[in-house]
Amino acid sequence: MKPPIFEYRRPATLNEALDLLREYGGDAKVLAGGQSLVPMMNLRMVHPEVVVDINRLSELDYIRLDGRTLAIGALTRHQALLESEEIAKGCPLMSEAYRYVAHLPIRNRGTLGGNICHSDPSSEMPAVLLACDAHIVVASHSGVRQVAINDFLLGPLQTVIEPNEIVTEIRIPLHSQDEGWAFKEVSARQGDFAMAAIGTILRISGGEITRASIAVVGMGDRAARLSGVEQFLLKQRVSKSLFAEASAKAAELVNPDSSHQASAGYKRSLVETLVARTLADAAGRSNA
Amino acid sequence: MELVKITVTVNGQRYEREVPPRLLLSDFLREDLELKGTHVGCEHGVCGTCTILVDGVSVRSCLMFAVQADGGKIETVEGLGTVEKLHPLQQAFREKHGLQCGFCTPAMLMVSKELLDRNPNPTHEEIRESISSNLCRCTGYQTIVEAVELAAQLASGGSHERT
Amino acid sequence: MNAPNTQENAHIPPSCQREKPQKDLKWIGKSMARVEDQRLLTGHGGYIDDIKLPNMAHAAVLRSDRAHAKIVSIDVSKAKALPGVLLVMTGEDAKKVTGPTAQFASPPVIQYCIAVDRVRHVGEAVVAVVAESRYIAEDACDLIEVVYEDLPVVVDPEEAIHCTGDAILHPDRGPTNVARQEKFVFGPVEDDFRNADRIIERRIRWPRSGGQPMETAGAIAEYQSGTGTFSIIANTSFLNYVGWIIAASLGVPSHKVKIATCTTGGSFGSKLFTHKIITLTATLARACGRPVKFIEDRLDNTMNCDAHGCDRVYYGQLAIKNDGTLLSMKFKVIDDYGAYLQFGLGTHGNALCQVTGPYSINSVAVELIAVLTNKCQQGAYRGFGSEVANFFIERMVDAAADELGIDRIEIRKKNLIQPDQFPYTIPTGNIYDSGNYQLVLETAIKLAGLDDWKRQKEEAKSQGRFVGIGIATCQERSVFSATEFWSLNPKDTPGFMLTSTPESVQIRIDPTGKALVTLASPFWGNSPETVATQIVAEQFQMSPEDIVIMYADTSTGFDSAGPGGSRFTVMIAGAIVGAAQVLKKKIIRIASEMLQADPADLEIRDSGVGVKNDPQRHKTIAEVALASHYFRLSFPRGDDFATGLQASYVYDHPLTTMPAADRSSLGIYYPIMGHMCHLALVEVDIGTGKVKILDYVAVHDAGTVVNPMTLDGHIRGGTAQGIGTALYEEFFYDESGQLLTASFADYLIPTLHEIPDKIRVDHVETPSPYTEYGIKGGGEGGRMAAPAVLAAAVEDALATFCVKVNELPLTPNRIHALIHNN
Repeated sequence: MKPPIFEYRRPATLNEALDLLREYGGDAKVLAGGQSLVPMMNLRMVHPEVVVDINRLSELDYIRLDGRTLAIGALTRHQALLESEEIAKGCPLMSEAYRYVAHLPIRNRGTLGGNICHSDPSSEMPAVLLACDAHIVVASHSGVRQVAINDFLLGPLQTVIEPNEIVTEIRIPLHSQDEGWAFKEVSARQGDFAMAAIGTILRISGGEITRASIAVVGMGDRAARLSGVEQFLLKQRVSKSLFAEASAKAAELVNPDSSHQASAGYKRSLVETLVARTLADAAGRSNA
Repeated sequence: MELVKITVTVNGQRYEREVPPRLLLSDFLREDLELKGTHVGCEHGVCGTCTILVDGVSVRSCLMFAVQADGGKIETVEGLGTVEKLHPLQQAFREKHGLQCGFCTPAMLMVSKELLDRNPNPTHEEIRESISSNLCRCTGYQTIVEAVELAAQLASGGSHERT
Repeated sequence: MNAPNTQENAHIPPSCQREKPQKDLKWIGKSMARVEDQRLLTGHGGYIDDIKLPNMAHAAVLRSDRAHAKIVSIDVSKAKALPGVLLVMTGEDAKKVTGPTAQFASPPVIQYCIAVDRVRHVGEAVVAVVAESRYIAEDACDLIEVVYEDLPVVVDPEEAIHCTGDAILHPDRGPTNVARQEKFVFGPVEDDFRNADRIIERRIRWPRSGGQPMETAGAIAEYQSGTGTFSIIANTSFLNYVGWIIAASLGVPSHKVKIATCTTGGSFGSKLFTHKIITLTATLARACGRPVKFIEDRLDNTMNCDAHGCDRVYYGQLAIKNDGTLLSMKFKVIDDYGAYLQFGLGTHGNALCQVTGPYSINSVAVELIAVLTNKCQQGAYRGFGSEVANFFIERMVDAAADELGIDRIEIRKKNLIQPDQFPYTIPTGNIYDSGNYQLVLETAIKLAGLDDWKRQKEEAKSQGRFVGIGIATCQERSVFSATEFWSLNPKDTPGFMLTSTPESVQIRIDPTGKALVTLASPFWGNSPETVATQIVAEQFQMSPEDIVIMYADTSTGFDSAGPGGSRFTVMIAGAIVGAAQVLKKKIIRIASEMLQADPADLEIRDSGVGVKNDPQRHKTIAEVALASHYFRLSFPRGDDFATGLQASYVYDHPLTTMPAADRSSLGIYYPIMGHMCHLALVEVDIGTGKVKILDYVAVHDAGTVVNPMTLDGHIRGGTAQGIGTALYEEFFYDESGQLLTASFADYLIPTLHEIPDKIRVDHVETPSPYTEYGIKGGGEGGRMAAPAVLAAAVEDALATFCVKVNELPLTPNRIHALIHNN
């Protein structure tokens, strides 16, 4: 399965890249890791006229601490994030989620920026970023804007990015030491896209839940926060029965489609199971 | 159609070529450089049969365009060893029956090389994790893992009993 | 050892075994490192896509995106105009010069290498393009406009039985999608059912999966217009069995087509005879005047490999006594063959060779319904129908045990055929040549540490976890006879009733004493060069270093059916022994002249010939060979001393008999009967439905083992495919006939993580009385038991939910439904 013809441009700087996007607009596709884009091109599901290869933009490949914010350059490879001590400390939910992401050769090339721009509903990182209340920095020649991740993701393969824009950075509030976290996923095989996944962050003070952030993968057009469950949990005292009730609530709140691989009923039960398990693990990890 | 000039180093040898942008790296290696050891299994990044090392890390060559490899250092199975002088990995695969049809084997060898280059003494779990990125339809994987374990021993100069 | 000369065994021909099983063999029985490996490990495999001919062009195929439709029109004008395109060919174009491709059904089901008039499944070839590169050929495919008129689609085997009108796929063949419907009765079924205390009933659904080796199928063809000859290279088998049929399709005499094989990256049956690919490529080469290469890409392969596996529904009844004795079985089996029927009912013939399993069941009644639907056609996939028969009977036996409240292992022990009952004739007429099923079972139980497993299960239960144990005791037939392809055909259209299933070898000892051994069948990933080397080394007492294996094409090879049905090692052993006997006789004659000794006093030893009990008087094979090749006048007159040392041998199936005219018996056709016992310990996470295999044991009896290491490779690899079949893989067509599991993202081949870290293997050897050295085949094995054992283990784990596993694959989704629907 060979890709269709395209013109190739390889900018050396972000500015050059933005020049090209301004020139070609909707006719162009940005090529970062290529682990999502190239299969689609090989399958001839997309036919960009111009491919803008941004792999030389080393200026977008970094992990930095910016006060109480983790700043990750959009071109940072998944594997670098998986191996990073800063991520392990600063966003342990991401580190744990990376256990489920693809395989090493894919992670060696794939980038965080590319992944969220692709916005695959079954992908893990959008959920991690949602749970962490991340912001996405988007640049064009008209300027730079920051978009909350929840506003950034629109649906499958759709984000708010305009044709003349590039994602440059992902900004994540630093993990707080007193918070617990857990990410769990069920996929058909190890490394496959999620049939369902949950990313959970809990802060518990004196036995009471003061922060609950739960993101779900695989239940709709895009990853989403289970705000109904979060509201239910806030200010409640931690207990097994509370978590059981929260999990049941989560299963009711989601509205998955049935597919050959997984019925709606099964997906709901996965949500219930994974919410219960992540709540238990997150509670265990929090310094309550 | 515009061709793009690229320079790549493959198994230590420098090549300068002009290629169409859409030429996949897997096809470039096989057709332009006549290096047939890298195989093609799916062309959508799942099976791993086309896996090579680019700048020291494993990569699906079917998911890269040759133009992207410009300036890069590529390693394929042809660079590992020859029949006269097999790489410890190749020796070990033979000894442990880590291949049957051989089609996934170059990729298995390359991810194993990546592992051993970084970590000459991998644990059983680390070897399993490395191999798990590639599909094999013949062996059931067990003897591939055993081969990598043996290769680690051989490479570190350890002796072993042929079992 | 021949069959005991009883009246019971009067129908069993005598053994023609020449080499008895022996303990003190030098090469056979050793885990010799493989001869094939060096080139494969160094990236010089020589697979079909590695081969390049001068001036070669490339083909791509435009495939149907709908399941059943008339082709109204095809506009190829834009495609033809694209620079770099050499040829665009529709089915109509192809039909003018190329006839239907090979098929073995009777009455026939006609198929062409490119669809003509209508498409019958998603992925069927509609137009072929030849261009300077595959890239351009695919660009051209994008420019072709096809207008279809949709026809009704059927994808359910039971619905297919009732199709009428436009839903009929092959109206020329008759107004039905039922390709065959027939009842067969073997033994006193009604009597046995009347004697039963209970009848166990079960509906079993086994959906299609497929071999999908990492290498797809492909061919390179060249047409020399000066001689009107086709020269083809393809990763196919059967080239020296029925390869000439390609010529018939191409409309040329058989000697105008030469087919050569090449290193093949796995087959599992799928490359048994890639006639459509070969015929298409050759047709394109002839039409465009340049050599043409066509390699399936992965989507070509999943959608149109012509090698999907069995797709069956069984309605079964097992007649039993209350003490657990199994008396008789009846079943109706509906098999969805897809859009064509290339191998006829071969997979059913196959299944009937061991349909009663390892049990002394007295009679069997079968209603066989073969239907055609809008799916890719079936071909051969590791087991070729018997893996489903195994699954079916093991599920029935488990159900019987559960109903009676008998332990699942105990019921098996009660009914296993006894060691002194061999050769054992089963109701369908096939025989089991030898075995010791009790020993295999005992060995497996001991290896597993069953008591420890039971303890683990109890401990898990107390922790609220769900752990189960499964067992499967299954037959593993080897060495098929061609009669299985036609014995179930209608009596008035029996088809081509071939009875030859041979394998050949040519052995030449060159002037320096090296053995050049030519096989006529390809390397698939089985280890033909290694086993042939070991057997030749054994026969001539020479070093494997002095043996080289080569491959013949259709112009130089003799009749050979090739790998498949776990036959190759047994058959090549027979051929090598045959050729070696001729050669050794000559070598001894020559040596007797050179050593001035009586031939009766000479023996083959130490890479040569020596006088018995006299270490000094010895001639190496090199010395004998040099003399034979060059010094004719040093030897007496007569043909016995003609210059040169070569022999060829065609070895026929060692034990085949014809089916009875009324088909009350199918004859002996798959008698070299291996056996296996698999045990599995699994845990089911009821929150997610995921199955984890905690431990897995496989004990196989493949008779005398030539190379334990390579046999273990097949056992483990086969088991891995069986795990895929049981838990992950399915070719799933939706109601409109779209294949939802076409890419490797959706067709779930197990990665390392889905296969147990250690599959623990052991062997039992009950040599065959009928094959050389007592070898039996073992290539298919693991896949033929794994689905049954995993289904049993999951049932056991979920016993509290009264879960019954009647359908595969056991995906988490299905397990969730099984738990919650009860």
